[in-house]
Amino acid sequence: MTTRRAMLAAAATALLIAAGAGAEAAYPERPITLIVPYGAGGATDIAARNMTAVTPKYIPVPILVVNKTGAGGATGTAFVANAAADGYTMMVARVGSHTVNPAMKANLPYSIDDFRYVGVFEINPVVCATSPNSGIDSMEALIAAVKARPGEITYSSSGVGSMLHLAGVLVLDAFGVENATQMVTHLPFRGGGEAARQVVAGNATFICTNSSALMGHIQSGALKPLMVTTKERLEGVDAPTAAELGKPELEVLVGWSGIAGPKDLVDEAYEAWVGWLGQITKDAEFKERMGALGSIVVSMTPEESVQFIRHQYEVFRALVDKLGMRVE
Amino acid sequence: MNAWDAAYWAFQTIAQPEAVAALALGVVIGVIVGAIPGMSATMGVALTLPFTFSMEPLVGILLLLGVYKGGIFGGSIPAILIKTPGTPASSCTVLDGHPLAERGEAGKALEMALYASCIADVISNLALILFAAWLAAFALSFGPPEFFTLILFSLTIIAGVSGDSLTKGLISAGFGLLAATVGLDLVYGTDRFIFGQTELMAGLNFIPVLIGLFALPEILAYLRRPTEGVGKVMDLGRHHVTWREFRRCLRGIGLGSVIGVVMGAIPGIGGAPSAFLAYSEARRISPNRDRFGKGELEGVAASEAGNNGVAGATLIPLLALGVPGDVITAVILGAFMVHGLRPGPIMFQQNIILVYALFMGILLSSVFLFITGKIAIRAFRRVADIPRSILYPSVLALCVFGAYAINNTMFDVLVMFATGVLGYFMMRTGIPAAPFLIAFILGPMLEDNFRQAMLMSQGSFTIFLRSGITWFFWAATALSIGLIVRRGLGRRRRPATAGGD
Repeated sequence: MTTRRAMLAAAATALLIAAGAGAEAAYPERPITLIVPYGAGGATDIAARNMTAVTPKYIPVPILVVNKTGAGGATGTAFVANAAADGYTMMVARVGSHTVNPAMKANLPYSIDDFRYVGVFEINPVVCATSPNSGIDSMEALIAAVKARPGEITYSSSGVGSMLHLAGVLVLDAFGVENATQMVTHLPFRGGGEAARQVVAGNATFICTNSSALMGHIQSGALKPLMVTTKERLEGVDAPTAAELGKPELEVLVGWSGIAGPKDLVDEAYEAWVGWLGQITKDAEFKERMGALGSIVVSMTPEESVQFIRHQYEVFRALVDKLGMRVE
Repeated sequence: MNAWDAAYWAFQTIAQPEAVAALALGVVIGVIVGAIPGMSATMGVALTLPFTFSMEPLVGILLLLGVYKGGIFGGSIPAILIKTPGTPASSCTVLDGHPLAERGEAGKALEMALYASCIADVISNLALILFAAWLAAFALSFGPPEFFTLILFSLTIIAGVSGDSLTKGLISAGFGLLAATVGLDLVYGTDRFIFGQTELMAGLNFIPVLIGLFALPEILAYLRRPTEGVGKVMDLGRHHVTWREFRRCLRGIGLGSVIGVVMGAIPGIGGAPSAFLAYSEARRISPNRDRFGKGELEGVAASEAGNNGVAGATLIPLLALGVPGDVITAVILGAFMVHGLRPGPIMFQQNIILVYALFMGILLSSVFLFITGKIAIRAFRRVADIPRSILYPSVLALCVFGAYAINNTMFDVLVMFATGVLGYFMMRTGIPAAPFLIAFILGPMLEDNFRQAMLMSQGSFTIFLRSGITWFFWAATALSIGLIVRRGLGRRRRPATAGGD
């Protein structure tokens, strides 16, 4: 009898504790919307959906992935900048939306300071590549060709203000091509896949973009890789690193995704997300899936993340100002 | 391992219940999603994607392919019944499908749409299996200059869908071009006609414009005269497609399928332009030319063959080159990559069994599409029995939902209503809506490719003559315009002689 009563009491206490804990941790009490500023099926979208595949293990409420696309990611990003800061509207921040766009576009309805960054969770290396038919087989040859035939060499991008747009001239600038924007012709296409295809077909000379977008073409021999921007060489890509070519400063040129909320994001939600992201980036399943897409999952503290994003923004901004690339 | 061994193992792989069930389920989901205005096949595939992560690669990819194929056909159901294309690709089906429905022959139109879709699907799948490598090489030779000439030629479709007056068709196309210029400039990234509105930076969204242009004018007209046709119910009837009608449409279906396959193999064009091109070419060769646009079964057959012919062929650049041709195949590419597979030449060497199994599954999908389509037509036929006083308010609610859902913003709902008012005005003045749509889709492509080509050549126009493909399309464009002018002159001369007699 006494044991039963004791058990009942224990159960009641446990219930109370659970209830108390529930009342304290008010966030999250309803589903959280995760805005993806790019289209369904794109790299950012797949990263977000990969994440939501493992979040039930760590986050007690459902995460709704919502694509708000348009204007090179500006539409969805501006939406989050102006959203309620209660932690129920978060976003996947991306190199394009959060460093390249703010560095290049004067007509943007938000700035890099309009967000509170939880952390960067994946990084994707950048590869510069060209068609084997172009006769260019190294960075050295590319630079020589640009200098010999000003304006004739073209590079493709997924549009004005995309990372690819900036990457092409950033690389040339680092290799000592002066007035890089005048020396090469920028060919904007609608989407990264299309940009890569045009290099394969020989309609553009070179491209610098995420390794995941080029890996298939590199493996099949349709594209010749010239350089990778990672510290170490990339598996499956037969090309030197930027540091090997004497340009370690180009290591700043990487794609990334992170989680961010509006500037005034409440501390409660911020801390919860920092904890969750820490767990998600250690999740083996998540790491494996992202790895299959060519991404490297990273665990950065919020401080490291902010520093990383800021630094990339400043490098990009300096280049934009130097070459007069700002879009009014 | 030789090809027969691979085929044998592929058959073993595909002949498992999960694979077949996933494909069937995919087609069912696709038809339902496609039939809901505003829920495009693209959204259907994107929403299904996360569920495939935990599946075996083949099962997951077959599920997505099923959704894709089902979605493209499903879109024709509301296009015919309520004049609201369920997906952009089925907007051309409205032109003849809806007049048929109004005549009480919706059942016939739906059946024809299904037959045309299935036949085109089979042709497209066979093209994928037999000519993938060859068509992929052809597609890869399409650079900006080739694209520009192809689209220039496609713009001559406007004459075919203008109805009686070419002038009114051109006015409509002008509106479409104007609407398409809103947004960010491709080359300089500067704002165009956004009037300080951030939402307009992305340009006008296709789906709200589509719904506004087709569905809303009907509803507005009904609002003005609610008593007209009270109690009048569209009769689905016991009408079935007769063998004679089917045989009459076969030419259009064949032509539409071939156009669909070629347009599908070239990355970045998609189902809607292909359907319009198929429609206009079928009209050109048909003895019943004058009945097109007024409820001609051949028109439904050609446009449905045109959009479903794309479905198998878009997989050509994806599987053969690893290049996604449109948003849907981009999502499917994502599904491959999540499973560690990389479409492209390498996959044919390393995963040939999977590739063969996929081919078998794709062929099977046409069968499932036929069965599901038959059932769906029976289920949706009830829509035609609903009185307009109940049907139109429901359609309006569905339209608002559809416009909102595409990007989760009220702004798109406003865009839909604004285009709806424009569409109503156009309907009252007899300006056809189809040229608006064609210009809205093709205009930006024309501009983009022109400017890309000019950047490539550093301003030299000779780039537009650089290959056989460009010469071919220049000739085709000249021929097409020549025919339009001759027909126009002929039409003017005929009434004159009649008056003289």
